[in-house]
Amino acid sequence: MTNPLALIALLPLLGFLLNGTFATAIGGHRFGHRTAALIGCGMPLAAFALTIQMFLTLQASGYTPIVEPLYRWATLGDTTFDITFYFDRLSAVMTLIVTGVGSVIHIYSTGYMHDDKSFGRFFAYLNLFLFFMLLLVLGRSMLVLFVGWEGVGLASYLLIGFWFDDLANAAAGRKAFITNRIGDAGFLLGMFLLYRAFGTLDMDVINAAFATGAPVAMVSASLVGLFLFIGATGKSAQIPLYVWLPDAMAGPTPVSALIHAATMVTAGVYLVARMSGLYLQAPEASQLMAVVGVVTAFLAATIALVQHDIKKVLAYSTVSQLGFMFVALGVGAYGVAIFHVVTHAFFKACLFLGAGSVIHALGGEQDIRKMGALRTKIPVTFWTFLIATAAIAGIPGLAGFFSKDEILWYAFASETGGGTWLWAMGALTAFMTAFYMTRLLWLTFFGASRMSHEVEHHVHESPLSMTGGLVVLAVLSVVGGYIGIPHFLEPMIPLPKVVASLEHFEHTLLYVSVAIAFSGVGLAIFMYGGPASRAEGVARASGPLYGLLSGKYFVDELYAAVIVRPLAWVSEHVLLKVGDRLLLDGTLNGLAGLAQRSAGLLGRVQSGSLQLYALLVMVGMVGALLWSWRHV
Amino acid sequence: MMESSQFLLAVAGGLFVIGLLGVVIRRNALVMLMCMELMLNGVNLSLVTFSQQRADAAGAVMVFLTFVVATAEVALAIPIVLLLVKHARSLDIDRFSELKG
Amino acid sequence: MLVLREPMRVALALITSMTSLGAVYGLMGVHFIAAFQVLIYVGAVMVFMVYVLMLLEVKEAPGSRRFSRYVLPGVIGGALLVAALGAGMLRGPASAGLLPGEGDQAFNLVEFSSTFLTQYWFVFELTTVFLVGAIVAALAVVNVSRRRQG
Repeated sequence: MTNPLALIALLPLLGFLLNGTFATAIGGHRFGHRTAALIGCGMPLAAFALTIQMFLTLQASGYTPIVEPLYRWATLGDTTFDITFYFDRLSAVMTLIVTGVGSVIHIYSTGYMHDDKSFGRFFAYLNLFLFFMLLLVLGRSMLVLFVGWEGVGLASYLLIGFWFDDLANAAAGRKAFITNRIGDAGFLLGMFLLYRAFGTLDMDVINAAFATGAPVAMVSASLVGLFLFIGATGKSAQIPLYVWLPDAMAGPTPVSALIHAATMVTAGVYLVARMSGLYLQAPEASQLMAVVGVVTAFLAATIALVQHDIKKVLAYSTVSQLGFMFVALGVGAYGVAIFHVVTHAFFKACLFLGAGSVIHALGGEQDIRKMGALRTKIPVTFWTFLIATAAIAGIPGLAGFFSKDEILWYAFASETGGGTWLWAMGALTAFMTAFYMTRLLWLTFFGASRMSHEVEHHVHESPLSMTGGLVVLAVLSVVGGYIGIPHFLEPMIPLPKVVASLEHFEHTLLYVSVAIAFSGVGLAIFMYGGPASRAEGVARASGPLYGLLSGKYFVDELYAAVIVRPLAWVSEHVLLKVGDRLLLDGTLNGLAGLAQRSAGLLGRVQSGSLQLYALLVMVGMVGALLWSWRHV
Repeated sequence: MMESSQFLLAVAGGLFVIGLLGVVIRRNALVMLMCMELMLNGVNLSLVTFSQQRADAAGAVMVFLTFVVATAEVALAIPIVLLLVKHARSLDIDRFSELKG
Repeated sequence: MLVLREPMRVALALITSMTSLGAVYGLMGVHFIAAFQVLIYVGAVMVFMVYVLMLLEVKEAPGSRRFSRYVLPGVIGGALLVAALGAGMLRGPASAGLLPGEGDQAFNLVEFSSTFLTQYWFVFELTTVFLVGAIVAALAVVNVSRRRQG
């Protein structure tokens, strides 16, 4: 095997092509569900196996990065653009997560989408997504990364709008794609600046150049960092481009788990971590990242407090956790951010898949106000959901605790951008996270049943394909924290230095984190464990605030009024009516009309009248005589 | 006072122009033919003048040939006009504008 | 000639013009050409023309218009042409005058004929061919007219 890395990426592509042709309407549904599932799950599993093998190879070689050129894409004068695959510690971590969690979710989907008529299409799209995501994390050049970046956006669009017969789903897919593209404009600008400064887009070369400080004069690192961050806000759902993620819950739940929790939305985090060499020289951009991250985390958490759709709570929770990751990136703790990516992938995927299991059990119900008392009816789902909730809330010993605590510590004490207020907002957000996740757990599984009778009658545990994945992810949520990723990545991405005077606060903050987690959980149990009037009373008391939070701060409406409507107006009246019809069509029609009219005019010369011809000869003679005297 | 050769050439040119003008102006087909003869005469005069000026016989030979050609042309043009007139029942040129583009 | 109404009068004007030209040729010394001018042009061509006019004139309806549609542009064009030719002539180099008596010698009959038939004999033969062609064409026209008639 000459190109194992390329094979990792290309196997899912093969799955896409096979399933896409034969398991869909294009191929007349020639593959049955079993074959489609075999191919659809087999490819990611094979990719996972290959990744493990590559990881062992990497380890054996002392973690020197493996570079695999595949194909010369373009040659422009002296510079060439190649498709090269690059495997180092960071890529290894990301690829393992993508293929590993991806495989689990694929297997889960065989159970979840069992009755869907577009089974083959679903697996084709999932495999396509996996291919692009692997391109993203394995690429050496920013161009390959960008291809993967755009490709996952495409796959996301296809999968969010999977049930496109309902126009709302299609609109959500479109919203996701367009919002992503706005961020991509920033990404492209960053790439242009980098190319102009370095003449190459290979990320390891750029990072090394920044580290040695060579042509830094040519480009402002902060400016590039800002542009790349704008791209990241689009893909990783930060302010101001996060609005697509809650709407993306219109897609099937495995999609939400894979794309909008574990992998695609972490692409922005990966990008920044990969370009750590750049960001170490860009203090202003890093500071901005930290601020945006913490504000996003805070606001998203406040919105999640009052949501009553099980998937929407999880969506806002994802936005919030992504904010945490950007806080970590902003203060220079890149390895910690990746650590949180890994643990978040475990417990968030588990949560989403658990939510999917609940929805499946309830025959499609997603409103938690209509759930309750599911604890005994679907035990496996319940226990895995409980473990994952505990992980995200930060209960000590589980995965989320380790990563979140490290983030908060570095937010407080990092030399590059840490601050007390940053920590305080983060801590408050952590408190809210614990609260609303426990609220979700409680309202779904505990208390009295608020389900309708026929729903309650049909509640059943999910099949093994689904529960198996839940168990695997729950186990990972427990043990994932001990993997120690920041230290694994440290030789490549150093941890930031801590302000010396604050070093002794480390243990204090640890205890504070524990206290926050437990108090959040406790408060939620208190609020929702008692009579229902307790929660309702609080909601009523905080009237307008509750309305604001319920309306998601009316950001969507604001965007619609300020951006979308004026743009639509301009498109309709200026561009369509004036630009297209008047100018373009008018010019073309005018030219054609001009040609016709002049032809008609000239045609009158040939009237058939001999005398006219003779007259023209006379005039022509005069002209010829005059012309022949030019040189006399 | 002009040289006599210039004068003769002016006369030749004048004959030519009057002939051409007649072709354009007049309506009657036979009158048009006669104006064409006038044009030919003008050209002949200029040929003779130049030939005399340079004592070259080539010009005179050309005049001789012009006579031949003009006669043959008239001999054929008149019957054609006759046929056209019989067809259109009028000598008016405007009736014969079927060679339109 | 341009303004006479009756075509017969136009023909008479043309005959006068051609005869005068013959006289001019004679005065210039090219007697051979002068003779042929009168013989061929006036004697054959114009007689033919007058004959045809007499043939057709009877059928011609009186009161037909004299001038075509292009009178005004024609006159303007003619004026322009006269101006252009006149300007060209005046610009040109000063011409040598006409040869006085020597012309007579180059253009008397014997000289001219020998030059014509020795140096330009090929052209002479070509005119013969041309006349044959003209005869064939005339026969064709006659045939066409006969077919038309019956």
